[in-house]
Formats: sequence, structure tokens, C-alpha cells
Amino acid sequence: MSNAVLDDNRRSLLLKLTTVVAGAGVAATAVPFVASMNPSSDVLAQAEVEVDLSGITPGAVHTVAWQGQPVFVVRRTPQQIAIAAASNGGSDPEPDSKRALNPEWLVVVGVCTHMGCVPNKEAIGWVCHCHGSQYDESGRVTLGPAPTNLVIPPYRFVGNDKIIIGKV
Amino acid sequence: MSGRIINWIDRRFPFTSFIRDELTGYPTPRNLSYWWNFGFLAGFVLVLQVATGIFLAMHYKADVAHAFDSIQHIMRDVNYGWLLRYMHATGASAFFFVIFIHMARTLYYGSYRAPRELLWWTGQGLLLMLMATAFMGYLLPWGQMSFWGATVITNLFRATPVFGEQVVIWLRGDYSVGDATLNRFYALHYLFPFLIIGAVVIHLVALHAVKSSNPSGIDLKAKDNIPFHPYFTSKDLFGLGVFLIFFCVVVFFVPDSLSEPANSIPANPLQTPNHIVPEWYFLPFYAILRSVPNMVGGVVAMGLSVMMFAFMPALDRSSIPGGARYRPIYRVLFYLFVIDMVVLGYVGYQPPAGTIVVIGQLATIGYFAYFVLIFGLSKVEERWLVKRGLPPDVQALINAEALAKSSRA
Amino acid sequence: MKKFTLLLVVTCLALLGMSALADMSTVQIATDTATLGRGADSMMTNCRSCHSLKYVRYRDLTSIGIPKPKIDEWRGSESVDNPMLAVLADKDALQSFGIVPPDLSLITKARDGGMNYLYAYLLGYHNTSNGSVDNLIYPGTKMPDALGISSATTAAQLVDIHGKARDVTSFLAWAADPHAKERIRMGYYVLAYLVLLTSLLYLVKRMVWARLSTSDDHLTSWKK
Repeated sequence: MSNAVLDDNRRSLLLKLTTVVAGAGVAATAVPFVASMNPSSDVLAQAEVEVDLSGITPGAVHTVAWQGQPVFVVRRTPQQIAIAAASNGGSDPEPDSKRALNPEWLVVVGVCTHMGCVPNKEAIGWVCHCHGSQYDESGRVTLGPAPTNLVIPPYRFVGNDKIIIGKV
Repeated sequence: MSGRIINWIDRRFPFTSFIRDELTGYPTPRNLSYWWNFGFLAGFVLVLQVATGIFLAMHYKADVAHAFDSIQHIMRDVNYGWLLRYMHATGASAFFFVIFIHMARTLYYGSYRAPRELLWWTGQGLLLMLMATAFMGYLLPWGQMSFWGATVITNLFRATPVFGEQVVIWLRGDYSVGDATLNRFYALHYLFPFLIIGAVVIHLVALHAVKSSNPSGIDLKAKDNIPFHPYFTSKDLFGLGVFLIFFCVVVFFVPDSLSEPANSIPANPLQTPNHIVPEWYFLPFYAILRSVPNMVGGVVAMGLSVMMFAFMPALDRSSIPGGARYRPIYRVLFYLFVIDMVVLGYVGYQPPAGTIVVIGQLATIGYFAYFVLIFGLSKVEERWLVKRGLPPDVQALINAEALAKSSRA
Repeated sequence: MKKFTLLLVVTCLALLGMSALADMSTVQIATDTATLGRGADSMMTNCRSCHSLKYVRYRDLTSIGIPKPKIDEWRGSESVDNPMLAVLADKDALQSFGIVPPDLSLITKARDGGMNYLYAYLLGYHNTSNGSVDNLIYPGTKMPDALGISSATTAAQLVDIHGKARDVTSFLAWAADPHAKERIRMGYYVLAYLVLLTSLLYLVKRMVWARLSTSDDHLTSWKK
């Protein structure tokens, strides 16, 4: 009798063990299938973009594509710098000094933080025409439904007239 | 709670009874050998091919300018793309390997005999669809062998009476294999597996109507049948484990062993490789095509060679059950046929010259002779065996069959 | 059906044998950084003037441990994301050789014999009786003797050239199949797992079938 019980225990243990091992195998098999839908290595490799600043005149906006999204590189005029430094923005206050490594250059992702449209450059800063959000010369939201300021991408200066946008 | 949900479903859909009658409780002969594992394995490979295929399709581009490059993109850049593609390419060969053994088992044990003709014929239909799918899939990498294989095979339809040229152009959508051909092959290569899944369902419905045959060749009494679960689920899963070991050895260690070097060269419509061969699973039929020194005759012979299996229930007139097991002459013929297939496969791989041509022609004659001999000898063999005396079990079945026939008449 | 199994095994072995028929000496390639680095160097100095490597980007070379300054030197003003193209344009190649030298990205897969072909080809140059240089593996080839084996005289030179051929072959084998190392490593884990799983499944199967009583099993009498 006790032998039979022992036997039964051993059997159910074997079944459980096999189920766990097989389940782990099925789960591991799913990894390559799921991973294959992530960005491929050639897309990831383009996670960095070099921008040559030498040709950009004061006041001009230079738009580059980074990870498929527009990035605005602005060489701000002294007035624009002064305006940006004078306020902390609107609903998402942040000093301009925290948003620009060098006050002369503003680098922001040109995607409205509301629903992902690309805002247009206008006299007051940027205006998103999808739902009316407005941003100032530092890309901070001042009006409209956008919840946060325009995003600052990771970037670094290489020498005086070149930046690399992408992982720092 | 789960009991209440199942009750709710059962009143509206035969959920529990379906599981019980067709899956877990499905009565299966207890004496099935491991040769009966291959139907399940074919089903597994089908699922594997569909799964890997769908994920590959997310990265593949069916355009003559980009097809080859997109395969390289999959092999180099896509995360685990190399694994998905090697599984898919090896899976195609594995599919045929498993199906050929599945068919050989049916032939050996006479599983095609009444009342399993429809089961056998749906299987024949599945073989044709599998061949079409594999052939169209082989064009997609757009290598030299892809291109010239598709060129040669579509040209077979020139043998169509009267409209030969038009049929070929219609199939290709172009005067030669081109962008239109690649696109339609891709569309159909994606479609066909789903037709195959449908046909598999029909195949299984037919199977469950007549139940599995078994090595004895005699339909067992109810007490000799055992429920499918857990007996055959455990047996099939163990078989699957063994299969996966072989499969993974190829995928991880020698994945290119089954692909022709010429397919690593992008398709060039202006230059044919010196030696073009189809994939190994088409070689015997390809050898038959080449062995007939006449275009139309060759195409007809090849088509017939694939379709000959469908005639087996009519050709085999013996009433001795159990296929080759109780029938020495049939057994010899079976082995000669398998050897003949291997010889044809070898001939199909070699350039057609000298003795290879002669061997190919002899093997082609041998191939068709198998079916003719079965027709001629099955009755002779039966009389001889009956005279010699049969095992009592077998005799009993023959008697029962005769009784059923006379009562019907 | 036992004979059928035997036949199946014999056929599979014969197929394997057929695929290994190539009558070239086999080359043992390496996958270490040093070898691949030397191979890449040879490729850039000896081959790339005519041959492209269009499925390999400069960036990919970092994955085999080639130092960045070296890559920058090779790529010049090209972006790291660009494919490694030949110096010679296809049009000019056609004019001077009458043929576009083949892209080498897949060369170790695209020839019968694979890397053995490439290795034997690189070392196959010899002086013919009429004073010209020809190749044993591909007679009448348009490619000159890049490694210079036909003019080698000393044993040391020969050793050096054989080493170079092996380096280039190793590098191009990597270029054709960049995930090979990862694949084989993963293969060992997968196989170990599958052997474990299959053993467990075998035990489960045996346990399940042991429940069937064999005493009244007249079916066993049919077993051959």
C-alpha cells in the first residue's frame, strides 16, 4: 500500500517536472518570434545622427530625422535667448538653462506631446495645428492640450560646430 | 465556476463531447507502432511552417529588385531572423521527409484499403498542395536556382494541348519569370498553407470516421482500442522530441547542407547555372520527367508518377489484410519500389549524360512497373497464400468480409 | 519495416556522402578576432579594389572586434552605415575585364565546396608551360594571383601565403554567415535541452503505457 502511494507520488512528480521543462521550452521558443518584431540591428545602428552646425544661420531652424522623427536644431538669436530665459514656460515649468546645453542652440524633438503631430515654427515659438497647442522659444508648452514640453533628445557637442543626437 | 462556464458552452456547442469523443477518448488501436507517429509530426511541421512563415513575411519583400536583399536583411539584421529562416527552410525538407515516411507506412501496411480510400485520397490532395506550396516558396529567395527552377517548372505547362504558350505566359504574368511571377507566387505561398490546414481538417474527419488502421491490418475489436489520451499523446510527444533533436541538429549545425550554392547568387535571367537541380524532394519525379525523350510525354509521365498513388485502392485487389506484413510478394515489391525511388532521386541529381540516362529510364520503367505488378500479382498472391493457409485471425477477417458481402447481395 | 528503416538510414548517409564529394582539401577556418582582423586587412588591401562586400556595412566590422580607428581608415568619408563597396565601379570593371568581379558577401556559400573552394582557389595559381599563370580550380580565371603563390619561391613565403589564404577565407566565411558562432553556441544549449526533454517524455510514455495490462494482450502475438 505505502509502496503504491510512493509510486503515485513519483509519477506525479515526473509529470510535473516534464510539464515544467516542456513549458520552459515553449516559452523560450517564443523569444525569437517576439524579438524578430523588434527593430532590426540596422535600424538600431541608426540611433545616432550627426548634425553639422556650421551652415545654420542665427534664427534658422534646421530639421533632421532621428529615429524617424523630426528634430529641430535652432540657432537662437540673442532676443530669442533673452525671451526664453525670462520665463519658466507655462503648465510644465522648466528653466531654459536646463533645456539647452548651450543657450545659442536649442535641440528639441519636433513632435507635439499631445497626439504626435509636428508643430510649425511661428513668431511666438511653435504652434501645433492639430489641436492648437503652443510652445515658446524653448519648446515649453504655453497654451493648449499638450501635457508636457517638447522633448529634449539626448545629444552632445563634438567640437564647436557638430552635435551627435542619440545615446550619450 | 469553470464547471458552470463549460456547462453554458456545452448547451450551445458540443465542447466537452468533442474533446471526449475526438481527442482524449478517441479510440485508437493499442498496437500502433512508431510508424504511426508521422501523421502527428506532419501536423506539427505544418504549424511550425505557418508560424515561422508569418514572421518571415513581416520582413520579406516580394519585388525582384529587393527580394534577395530582403533575405539578406533577415539573415543579418533582423533579431533571430537567421533562426526563423533556417527553421523555415529546414522545415520544408522536414515536411517532405515526414510525409514520405507517412506515405511509405500507408503503402507498407495497406492502410489505403477499403474503407480508407477517401482518407488516402485526401492525403494525395494534401501532397499535391504541399508540392505546390514548396515550389512557390522556393522562388521567393530570388536566387539563381529559384529563378531557373521556376522557369523550368512553369515551362512544363507548355505541354498543355493547343494553348501551351498562353498557359505559361498566364502563369507567369510575363514572357519570362519576373516581378509579376514573384508577386503571385508570394501571394499563393501565403494562401496555400491555409488551404492545407482546411484539407488537413477534412483528412482528420475522414480518419475519425474510419479510425486508424493498425499493423495487423484487421480492424480491432472494441476492447483492443485504447483512448488517445494519455497513451498516444505521450507516445506522439516522445516522438516529437526525437524528431526535434534531428531537426535542430540541421538547423543549428548544418543549415546550408540542403540548399544549393547557386541560390546564394542573385537571380540572373541572362545566365543559367551549369547544373540546375530541384530540391531533393522533387528529384525522383524530376528524373522521370527527364527520362522520357519527349516533352509532352515527360510531363505526362511526371504528373502520372505523382498521381499513381491515388490508384492504389483499385490496383491492389488482394483481400489479404495487413499489407506487406502477411504478403511476401507485395513486401518484395514494396522494397524494390523504395530502392527505385532512391535510384531515381540519385539520377535526378546527376547531369543527364551517358549511363545516367539509361539508369533513369530503367528506374522510370520500374516505377510504373510497381503499380502494374501490384495489379497483376495481388490476386495471384492471394490465391497462393490462401492455398498455403493463413493465420486464424486473418482467416477470420476474410470470412467476416465475405459474409458481409454475401448478405448485402 | 525494419528493412525500411535501414534503407532510410543508408540513403541519408549516402546523401551526406554526396554533399561531401568535393575533392578539395578542407580548410579549418577560425573565428577569433586576430584571424578575422588579418583577414579583413587582406580583404581591404588585396581584394576590395575590385570586389565589393555589399551586404556588410563598415559598422558590422565592430562586431568581430576590429578597432574603430582601423574602420575609420578603411571607410574614409563613407558613413559607417554604408555597405563596403569596391573601389572599382562596375562600369569600369566591365570595360577593363569584360566582367564584373563577383560580390564577396556570400562567396563561401555560393560555390560548390564553400570555403574549401575559396581556399583552394586562392592557392590554386601556378605557372603553366607556356609561361602564363593559371588556376587549377578555375582555369582561365580573370582574377590575377592576388596572394602571389605562383611566384613564391621559399618555404617561408609559402607558409605565409597559406596563412593569408586561411585568414581571408575565415573573414569571408564570417561575412557570409555572421551569426554562425552564435548559432552553433545556441545549438549546443538547444540540443542539451531537447535530450533532457525527450528523456523525460520517454519516461512519461513508459509510465503511462505501463498501466496497460499485458496479460490479456493477444496483440503481442502479432509483433514480429
